[in-house]
Amino acid sequence: MRSCTVEGVHADGSIVLRDVTVRYGNRIALDAVSGEFRAGSLTAVVGANGAGKSTLLAAIAGTARLARGSIDCPGALGYLPQRTLIDVNYPMTVSELVMLGAWRAFGAFRAPDRATWARLAAAADVVGLTGRLDRRIDALSVGELQRALFARLILQDAATLLLDEPFAAVDEETAEVLLQQVMRWHQDGRTVIAVLHDLDMVRRSFPATVVLARQCIAWGPTEIALRREAA
Amino acid sequence: MTSAHLLLIAPFESLGFMRTALVACLALAVLNGAVGTLLLVRRMTLDGNVLAHAVMPGAAIGFLYAGPSAMWLSLGGMASGLAVAAMAGLIAGARAWRDAALLAFYLVALSLGVMLVVWRGSNVDVVRVLFGTVLAIDRPMLLQIAVVTSVVLIVIAALYRPLAAGAVDADLLRALGVRTPYGTIFVILVVLALVASFQAFGTLLAIGPMLLPAAAARAWKLGVAASMALAAVFGLAASVGGLLLSYHANLPSGPAIVLAGGVLFGLSLLASGTLWRPAALVQEGA
Repeated sequence: MRSCTVEGVHADGSIVLRDVTVRYGNRIALDAVSGEFRAGSLTAVVGANGAGKSTLLAAIAGTARLARGSIDCPGALGYLPQRTLIDVNYPMTVSELVMLGAWRAFGAFRAPDRATWARLAAAADVVGLTGRLDRRIDALSVGELQRALFARLILQDAATLLLDEPFAAVDEETAEVLLQQVMRWHQDGRTVIAVLHDLDMVRRSFPATVVLARQCIAWGPTEIALRREAA
Repeated sequence: MTSAHLLLIAPFESLGFMRTALVACLALAVLNGAVGTLLLVRRMTLDGNVLAHAVMPGAAIGFLYAGPSAMWLSLGGMASGLAVAAMAGLIAGARAWRDAALLAFYLVALSLGVMLVVWRGSNVDVVRVLFGTVLAIDRPMLLQIAVVTSVVLIVIAALYRPLAAGAVDADLLRALGVRTPYGTIFVILVVLALVASFQAFGTLLAIGPMLLPAAAARAWKLGVAASMALAAVFGLAASVGGLLLSYHANLPSGPAIVLAGGVLFGLSLLASGTLWRPAALVQEGA
């Protein structure tokens, strides 16, 4: 079972996976993956379709049940699921969607205070959504929605960020803005794990890489991990 | 008296049971507007339908025990509704065959309920349980509807934000470390609302006044709270229209109200242009 404790050996904030196995029915999605995401590391997760990349993130986020193994992870997570998991028909505005990221600041009952609204405005500015906050989310382009979800993550202010295909199907300009934010999170000392397809981007910007094919094929510095992938 | 008065007012003026039915329907319209809208935005319409039928066996056992008593029918219905909801919760992980399992629950519940009622009662009782008896609502039943409506609306008002937020992105609240089981609380509210609707509309139709006005309101693409209010207005309109139709044409009142709701849904789809944006409907799963 997934254990998620702040105290203990991993108080330094690293995420440790031991023998992590996830099944969907009879199909094994992730088979005995072990490894460690160090605190403050920036790691890409790559592999073919169905290799278990999203499942790995879902397992760390606690939304996929482990059939075997354990995951130690510190404190709160910021999780960017694949866009298909977001109901874009839901009748809400961009600012409402983004504000959900600051849930801990107001919870189920209180209204967001002025400082939280200021943080929302700042986050919108970072992702280039200023002036589009009153739009309905069903009127957004794919890139705009992804920018909004990034703004929500900024408001969440989590020490660990799990990003599932953050740049998939977004325009180049958006991808550039979002990549800059990923780098900012990394410079802040946060742990970032991102599922990616663009291997050139991984080589350029991500120091560490995990290569998955249900099992863990390689886990380490990007240069070495991807060399084994090519071989 | 003008003809409009005869057509629209006189039936309620002259007949006590029509007035009681109208008041019950108005309360249910407000209740169903809120619960139905949340069911739609949480994409749980199938769950709602299954729960409506899940009320049946328990209500039947209540009927066997105490005859047609509002309280026992409701308590029994609530017990079996919650039991099926719990079973549905247990299979929530098995996405591949969840729909089939839910359908199985509802067919078994329906058949079991019918058999139990026929065992001790008559075919008339079966029709009562399946289609409800809006025009036979009495004071205790009206009081019960009023109490359930008040309680459910107060809880929805208090928990509005998490109940609504859970619909956009179910994993977000979990990732944020929110531990309160809002999904479970919502299912309990749905069962309560269905039990309140059950005696008016029966186990087969109870989901109709809950979903049709809410779906009609959703077609207009308002925010969630505004959509709830519009659904309540549509529910009121369908109730008044259905009751008058049943009075003047001598038709069964529950089905007439559901039919009126269906007409409002169709008109809303046409008038709001939703039909010409089919993607929106497909994703909604309504």
